[in-house]
Amino acid sequence: MMEKTILKSSFPQWIKSLQSFKVFIPKRENFGWELSSNNQILEIASDYTYPVVPPKKLIFPQEEIFFEFEQNPDNGIELKEVLPEESPQVIFGVRPCDGRAVEAMDLVFGGSFEDLYYWRRRRQTTLVGLACHQPPSENCFCLSVEGSPYSEDGLDILLTDLGDRYFVKALTEKGEKLLSEAPSLFKEITPKDREEKERVHLEAQGKIKRHLNGARELPEKIKAIFDSNFWDEESSNCLRCGICTYLCPTCHCFDINDETKSLAPLRGRRIRTWDTCQFPDFTMHSSGHNPRPDRASRLRQRLAHKFLYFILLYDRFQCVGCGRCISLCPVGIDIIEVLTRARNHGK
Amino acid sequence: MVSLDQLKEEVKKALSSGKVKYFIGYENIGSGWQVRPAFIRQPEDVDRLVWTPACFHNLVRFLHDEKRRRAREKNPDIRPVGLVVKGCDSRSINVLLQEKYIERNDVYIIGVSCELTGVINITKLNQHLNGLKPQKVLFGSKGTFKVIVDDREIEIEAPDILADRCLECPANFPVIADVILGEEIKRNPGNRYQSISAYEKMALDERWSFWQQQFSRCLRCYACRSVCPMCYCDECVADSIAYAVTAETTADEKAQKTRWVERNPELSENIFYHLVRAIHLAGRCVDCGECERVCPVEIPLRLLNKKMEKEAKELFGYEVGFDPAQPPLIACFRDNDPQDFIR
Ligand code: SF4
Ligand code: SF4
Ligand code: SF4
Repeated sequence: MMEKTILKSSFPQWIKSLQSFKVFIPKRENFGWELSSNNQILEIASDYTYPVVPPKKLIFPQEEIFFEFEQNPDNGIELKEVLPEESPQVIFGVRPCDGRAVEAMDLVFGGSFEDLYYWRRRRQTTLVGLACHQPPSENCFCLSVEGSPYSEDGLDILLTDLGDRYFVKALTEKGEKLLSEAPSLFKEITPKDREEKERVHLEAQGKIKRHLNGARELPEKIKAIFDSNFWDEESSNCLRCGICTYLCPTCHCFDINDETKSLAPLRGRRIRTWDTCQFPDFTMHSSGHNPRPDRASRLRQRLAHKFLYFILLYDRFQCVGCGRCISLCPVGIDIIEVLTRARNHGK
Repeated sequence: MVSLDQLKEEVKKALSSGKVKYFIGYENIGSGWQVRPAFIRQPEDVDRLVWTPACFHNLVRFLHDEKRRRAREKNPDIRPVGLVVKGCDSRSINVLLQEKYIERNDVYIIGVSCELTGVINITKLNQHLNGLKPQKVLFGSKGTFKVIVDDREIEIEAPDILADRCLECPANFPVIADVILGEEIKRNPGNRYQSISAYEKMALDERWSFWQQQFSRCLRCYACRSVCPMCYCDECVADSIAYAVTAETTADEKAQKTRWVERNPELSENIFYHLVRAIHLAGRCVDCGECERVCPVEIPLRLLNKKMEKEAKELFGYEVGFDPAQPPLIACFRDNDPQDFIR
C-alpha cells in the first residue's frame, strides 16, 4: 500500500506517461457518461457521475469470440482458437460500487474453474477508482449492501478528490506500477491531506439518501416467500426487457452460439454474448418446456440471485447498490422497494 | 381540466360492477413525483391512482400480456381490461383493432384529454430546472405545467418541457374511448414533422453514417421492442432462439429454423434488427415515443419511425390509428396507389 497526492494540474502528464496502456477515461456523450479510450481526454471532469454502461464491458465484453471453424477440402474441420489480445488497459473513474462489482464477477469466473477469456482481460486491467463526493445517482444505496462511497474492494488505486489535488492510494502492485510510470508527479502526503480525505469520505457517506434495511435477513425471507404470489404482483408491469441486467455491473450471464457464415464450405465461429434471465428464451428447454415461464419467476430469479444464491455461495451480496436498475427501469421497478416489501411480506 | 376524483370514481365503478377484470392506470413511485403503470384490482385501491404530466407510459402494450395469459388458461376470465389512455395511446388501440389483434370488448377505455399540454420530457425538465430537484410536477392552468421545487411553485410554459412527440401530436384528444375525461380543446400541432426536418436535409451517405454511429451503441436489450404497443409478435426475427417453440414443435422443425439475426451486438446485426423493426412499424407506429424514451443509451428511434410515418402519409395518404375499420397499410392496396407493380 502506498499513499501519495497528485496535483490536478499534473494529472494530464500522468495520463500521458501511460504509453504502454490503453487508457479509458469518462467521456460525456449525449446519452450520459461513457468510458472512452479516445486519447483526447486527460482529466476526469468535475461533474462526472458514473458510466451508463458499467466497466464490466471492458473485462466481460458483450461479445467474445472463442474460436473460428472452417471446413477444409478433405471435409475435415479446422479450428482456430481466438484469444483476447495481450494489451494492458487502465480504467479511470471506476466508482467504488463498480469496483466491488468486478470483485464479485471475479468469484464467478474464478474458483475451481477459471474462465480463460475473462482472466486474460482481467489480469491486464488496472482499475483506478474514484471515491464519490456526491452520490452519482439519487438511487445509490451502496451502504446498505456492505459497500461505501470510498470502498477499496476490487480496485488497484483509489483516488479521492481534494479540490486542487487527488489523494492517491495505491492498493495493489498493479496500482503501484501505475504510479511508477511518472514518479516525480506524486508527492508525499501530509497529515492535512489525510485529514481532508477522511472528511470528504465521511461527508459523502452522509449524502446517500436511499437505504435498504436488513439486507442480511433477505436470504431467509426470499426462501420463505419463494412460492408466494408476491412476485406476481411485483412484476405485473415488468416489460421483460434486458435493461436491469445488461446494465447491472454484476450481472454476468451469457449465451454461447455458433454463428455460421457459410454452409458450403462450412465456416463460422463460436461466440459468447451477454444474456439475461429476463428474456423468456433464457431458460427455454429444447423440449419446449420453460421452467421460468412468467415475469414473476424471472423477477424472483434476478433478486434471488443477488440476495439469496450469491450469499449462500460466497457470503456476499451480488448487488453493489449502484442504483442503475432503478434509475433506468422504464416502468419504475425499484429493487429497494421490492425487497423492502419482501421483507415485510406477511408481517 | 381532467379531474382525478372523477377518474377514481369511474375506475371504482368499473371495478365494483365487475365490468372490468382489472384496471391499469398510473401511480407514484415511492414518495417521488415520477409515476409508473399501476395494476388496480380492488375498488378500494383506486386511491393509488394519479394523473400527472409524468404519465408518459403507453399502457396499451399490457394488452399483449393479457392476450397471452388468456391463451395459456383453460377457462380464462374474458372480461375487458380497463386502461387509462391519452390521445396517442388511443390511436394504438385502433391499430390493434384494425389488425384484429384484439376485439373492441377486450378493453374498457377511460380516455384523458391532454387539452393544451401533454406529457413532459424528463431531460428537458431537468435542463430547465438547472440542477434543482422537483418535488412535484402538475398540470397548470391554460397550457402550463406547475413544478414544485424547494416548496416554491414554478410555472413553466408547456412547449419548454413537453415531450417531442406532444409538440407534433395530431390527436391530443382520445380517438376511441368508453369514457372521456377533460375537455376537447383543439390544438394546432404546427409542423408535424418538425423533428425530422434537419435529418431530411442530410445527404444519403450522411444519414448512413449517422445511423451507423447511433446503432453501434445499441445493446440489444430490446426495451424498445418490449415497450412498443405494436411489437406483439410471439416470434420476432430478432430473437436468436424462437421461443414460440412449443411442446408440439418437432426437433426437425427446430433444426430448420432460420436464424435471421445473430446475437452478437455488431453493427450489422444491430442495424438489421432496427431496420426490420422500422419497416414492420411503417403505417403502424402511432408515435407514442415510448421506444425512444426507454432506450438506456438514447438512440433516437423516433426519428426513424417518424420518417416512416411521413412516407406513409405522402406516398399513400395513410394516417395511422384514426379509424379502426381502415385496412392496414401493409396489408392492402388501392387503385390509386402510386406504384403499379401490384396491380
Ligand atoms: S442489482 Fe441494480 S442496484 Fe444492484 S448492482 Fe445491479 S444494477 Fe446496481
Ligand atoms: S432500447 Fe436502445 S439499447 Fe435497447 S435494444 Fe432498443 S435501441 Fe438498443
Ligand atoms: S415504434 Fe415507438 S413510437 Fe411507435 S408505437 Fe412503437 S413504441 Fe410507440
